[in-house]
Amino acid sequence: MNSHLPIDQKLAKPRARPIGIGTGGASALDAEPPSRGVWRTHVVPLLLSFLGVSVVTAILLPLRQDAAANLVPIAYLIPVIFAATRWGIWSATLASIVSMVEADFFFFPPVYSFRVEDPQEVVDLLMFLIVALVSSNLASRLRHETESLRLREQEIQLLYEFSRLLAACFTVSDLVSAIQKYLSRTLGQPALFFAARTDAHFETPPFGSVPGVVHARVASMKAQIGAPPVAILDEPAQNVWLLGPVCSETTVHGLVAVNIGGGSREAVEIKTRRIEAILEEVSLTLQRIDIENAIKDARLHLQAELLRDAFHGTLSHELCTPLATIRGSASVMDTMPAVRQDDRLHALVEGISDEAVHLDGFIQNLLNATRVTAGGVAPHLEWAELRDIVNAAIKGRARRLSSHKIEMAFAEDLPLVNVDSGLIEEACGQLLENAAKYSPSGSRISISARAEQTQVVLSISDQGVGITPEEQQQIGRRSFRGQRHQGVPGSGLGFWIASTFVRANGGTIDIASKGQGQGTTASIALPGSPPMQPSELADLRDE
Amino acid sequence: MNKPSNVVLMIDDEPKIRRFLRAGFELQGYSVIEAENGADGLKAATFSAPDLIILDLGLPDLHGREVLERLRSWSNVPVIILSVVSNEDEKVRLLKAGADDYVVKPFGMAELLARGEAALRRYFKTATENPVVTAGPLSVDLVARTVSLNDSQIRLTRKEYRLLHILATHVGLVVTHDQLLKEIWTGNQRDNIQYLRILVRKLRQKIETDPNHPRLLVTESGVGYRLQARFEETAVE
Repeated sequence: MNSHLPIDQKLAKPRARPIGIGTGGASALDAEPPSRGVWRTHVVPLLLSFLGVSVVTAILLPLRQDAAANLVPIAYLIPVIFAATRWGIWSATLASIVSMVEADFFFFPPVYSFRVEDPQEVVDLLMFLIVALVSSNLASRLRHETESLRLREQEIQLLYEFSRLLAACFTVSDLVSAIQKYLSRTLGQPALFFAARTDAHFETPPFGSVPGVVHARVASMKAQIGAPPVAILDEPAQNVWLLGPVCSETTVHGLVAVNIGGGSREAVEIKTRRIEAILEEVSLTLQRIDIENAIKDARLHLQAELLRDAFHGTLSHELCTPLATIRGSASVMDTMPAVRQDDRLHALVEGISDEAVHLDGFIQNLLNATRVTAGGVAPHLEWAELRDIVNAAIKGRARRLSSHKIEMAFAEDLPLVNVDSGLIEEACGQLLENAAKYSPSGSRISISARAEQTQVVLSISDQGVGITPEEQQQIGRRSFRGQRHQGVPGSGLGFWIASTFVRANGGTIDIASKGQGQGTTASIALPGSPPMQPSELADLRDE
Repeated sequence: MNKPSNVVLMIDDEPKIRRFLRAGFELQGYSVIEAENGADGLKAATFSAPDLIILDLGLPDLHGREVLERLRSWSNVPVIILSVVSNEDEKVRLLKAGADDYVVKPFGMAELLARGEAALRRYFKTATENPVVTAGPLSVDLVARTVSLNDSQIRLTRKEYRLLHILATHVGLVVTHDQLLKEIWTGNQRDNIQYLRILVRKLRQKIETDPNHPRLLVTESGVGYRLQARFEETAVE
């Protein structure tokens, strides 16, 4: 891990203390960051600086006689500046002092003594020390600036790359994988994503592992919009984990857990800042995705609405008018003597009529479906005779029921029902049609009605394919069609329309089957009339 | 029926609909006048004195109901409405505004002809006044107040007869719930459609072969009842 973070390690100070992370609100870390490499990063440079000065002394010593005395201070500046640019201010200061001492000892008379006789030379030495300290200070500052500039440039470069990666994200899962990819690449450690659950807790990712302490912390956290990142120390491995929320303005999508390794407080802070910047980018991207989705939804909604209006307008005019012409023209042809006398012509004309009626039924179905979708089912309730409604439904679908035996068993004194006849007729027709569609031709469809307390229950039973328990669960869904019946023509809207219309009338609809191949019974329960009051019975009596 | 010179006026903006209507009516011996909008239709109704008007609701200039209302301010000529909306409230409104009956598109010519004939019969009845109305096996003598089914007389209660009487005078045409309630009951009972339903149920038990599948006294869902003049009209489409 450390090999990926050379610069930060060198910058670190030889001691560790608790760190506070990020934007103030984050929890502090009550632990000592690891102090490995202190020897290498701090003691060795000091020794090397000392050595550098000594080398200069060793080179200058043989030249003591020839070289001008004023060359000595300049020569000593070399190791000082070198130490400053290479190892920083402490090494440079050490080098300055050692240089001054060695110069005094070896080159300023009396040699091999720390004493200085000439006051002029005392001034020279002090001047040297000041120049060395100032220039080493400047050089180390320059080094520091260059270093941080380089770091910043690298950071910006990485962020820029990340932004490009984000620009290509169109869904939250794209985004999550982009974060993971990016963090893994820059930190050399896999980043884990804990998806937010509906109960505001987080889900454990299916792969990758985190230390127990991180796990416990995640489990105790709640999804909260705008929560700052949290740093956690994994003591055994001496690693710091950062938990950063991935959220837009409105939703928390999850939590990213990254191992940012060990190191000094400064190093951890730098990485934390970088991850914060990333998360900020991420939240902007999430907002962009949210906005895009909202726009897409709005556009779809608008399109659906326009389509529906167009559909209604078109259906009533562009489809119904030609259909009326076809149906009407065929019916006129059917009365013409030339057609009536020719069986073949007669059959053809009948075919046209039948198909026009069929098409009309289909269009009415679509109209009903759009009416339901538009939320426009406003029932016009009145007391009606259920027999009339059922008869009308049978009549309306006579052609499609023609190959089945219809049996009706109605209780004699069936109460009236308080419903919108048109809607219940349609619902009933849909159920009849389904019964005919999913049962063999020639089989029986039984329609019965009975009073149950204040309700009237209408049941339609067929001897068809029945329903499996799985189908039973899905049957109320719009456009649901059983997998077994892909060959049977239909839109899958029938039961949905029926149940919507029945519910709009304050009724309930129920579908039951003993199982596959055992037939289906659809029941509609509708509000019925209470028994007649004596005064009402008197009103009716007119013998 | 004797109708060599019955004139029918069709007010519809769709030329193709007018074309088959013309063919259908001419085959039955009507003479036909066409109008493609409400204004022309009203003009034609004034100058050509038609015996029957077929009026489409979706006209480019005026709403069909407006045409009907203007027409009714000076004429009693039978009017059959053609409509694409199977909206019960609209039908009731039109019948109240004076339409004799309606047909919902798409329809078969036989259905429209039957409605037209029924309306014409009722329109001309005032002049000829045949007191016996027949509907399939049922005959109602409006003067003697007797009802017979398959030539044997049946007994009806006062209200049952009243109901049958109203339907018989409109034989072949729809009669709205409101109209029936107002003519049979008085006071608060006029609003009780349950009474009417129960009365219809009782009457059906006396005149229908199978009261569960009525063929004479049929229900017009959400609108009213109709006494069928001929059986084949109830035949499934």
